[in-house]
Amino acid sequence: MGKSATNKLMSAAEAVERFVPDGAVLGMGGQSIGRCPMALSFEIARQGKTDLTVVGCNLAMSMDVLVGSGLVTRTECGTGNLERYGTAFRWRAAAEAGELAVADYSHLGMASRFLAASLGLPFMPIKSLLGSDILTTKRADGPDPDYVLMGNPFSIESEPVALLPALSPDVSIVHVQKADAAGNFAIEGFSTHEPEMVKASKAVIVSCEEIVDPEYFRENPGETTVPFLFVDAVVHQPFGGYPTSVYRRYEHDREHVVEYQRVARAGGDEYADYLRRAIEEPGDFDGFLAWALTDDKKAVLRDEMERLI
Amino acid sequence: MTDYRPDELMVVEAARHINDGDVVLVGTGLPMLAGLLAQRTHAPNMCYVVETGPVAPRVLPTPISVSDPRVMHGAVSHGSLLSSLGGVLQRGLADVSFLGGAQIDRYANLNSTVIGDPERPKVRLPGSGGANDLASHSPRILIITRHERRRFPERCDYITSPGYLDGPDARKLSGLSVPYPEISVITDLCVMEIDRATGTLGVARLAPGVAFGEVQEKTGFELIRPADIPSINPPSGDIVELLRREVDPGGIYLKG
Repeated sequence: MGKSATNKLMSAAEAVERFVPDGAVLGMGGQSIGRCPMALSFEIARQGKTDLTVVGCNLAMSMDVLVGSGLVTRTECGTGNLERYGTAFRWRAAAEAGELAVADYSHLGMASRFLAASLGLPFMPIKSLLGSDILTTKRADGPDPDYVLMGNPFSIESEPVALLPALSPDVSIVHVQKADAAGNFAIEGFSTHEPEMVKASKAVIVSCEEIVDPEYFRENPGETTVPFLFVDAVVHQPFGGYPTSVYRRYEHDREHVVEYQRVARAGGDEYADYLRRAIEEPGDFDGFLAWALTDDKKAVLRDEMERLI
Repeated sequence: MTDYRPDELMVVEAARHINDGDVVLVGTGLPMLAGLLAQRTHAPNMCYVVETGPVAPRVLPTPISVSDPRVMHGAVSHGSLLSSLGGVLQRGLADVSFLGGAQIDRYANLNSTVIGDPERPKVRLPGSGGANDLASHSPRILIITRHERRRFPERCDYITSPGYLDGPDARKLSGLSVPYPEISVITDLCVMEIDRATGTLGVARLAPGVAFGEVQEKTGFELIRPADIPSINPPSGDIVELLRREVDPGGIYLKG
């Protein structure tokens, strides 16, 4: 059954309380330093939702704060990485300490698993991964078996494919440019793995830079990335992707990302201090933004983006 | 004699491996610079496809992430991971992919996942991302890396992205769609290429002033040594100028 076109506007606190249970398989939107669902992730950390499995493609800071908060037992992803800014350091430390199970796939592997679930299929064939250790290394706490090799049944040639199991997150969080109150939303710029992941998910929370009029998507249906059928909650949160970038809105904040990576690498008291100041004490994401970002800096990040599009 | 730095030579040599009209899958860093250089010189019709989805962008200098808005600038479509890695790569439309890794072994397999036991890693690296997909589906694979012995072990601790796996026909036997890709490893000391007969790396060109012995010494496996190894052509002053002025004007990746 699809979700209805009711008014789904609510606060991040209410959305997380209602749709993110402890033990959830949490689908994470965004990629590296681009359009990560920071406001929603910080709210999950604030509410201390525990025993999470975080799934996605390029998991970065929005996953790393959940691991750093001790809330994640497992990840399934293509990579844990902020590229030039380094590995996701709390994720790396937890994996090296044996406190976190990491199930490795390629990006296409993860996208294919979401695609399968989004089409109501139990698995998807893939021609990547063949011959590699990604395919054959046993994934801790994963499905058993977690892949199957088979030949193309329509060919007399031996044409092996790997079958990967569908992946349907309990709840996914994404941050986008535009949504309406019913949950129709538009991603501008590349859409990562989010269209497939969102359509594969049992529940979906969308935060957005801008709430558009209920008629907007009826007048501009070509802009719709995902219609309301899949979405449970809509959270209006300008700068909700900060400090990552949101295409056409603002550039990522180098200084904040560098500082986060510094404390995430250091761990210990310095990291705990960051979590306290960024997540606990502010009480909500606007409080975090008030601590992290002046109006002048907001204008600078908007201007930087303006020059790049 | 043009004054150039080792990273600049690597970028220039990598650019020479790109043909006009190629569909090139690329991330950021030195590979992106090589593509931009090729596009501004001999390969104006080269088509970038970025892992995150953008097709044929007019990339602004200097992107630091595949999620950087600079890689979306002027693209004809923005796409998604599925459209680029599935719809272009797995579909069979790519000509060339750039890859990197912490370890590269004799068969040009790459490891970007773990050092040590995968169950209890000594060092947990970022993981595949799109790298395995690029290595699986590209007819030509270019790898740019500094030449250090620890990067070139006999055998990768973990194969993230397949080279020739463990022999000349191993890719075919494993079912990969591109059974015999051309693979070139471009370092500050040399260019290595896969020898199809053995599926292992040999030295194809040496950087100016570098001897085979030095390369072998800094490599953890025995390299195939042809009788006669030509030199990498040094770049002209114009090309170095173009690199510094237009391709990476802020010196983000070419700091020297």
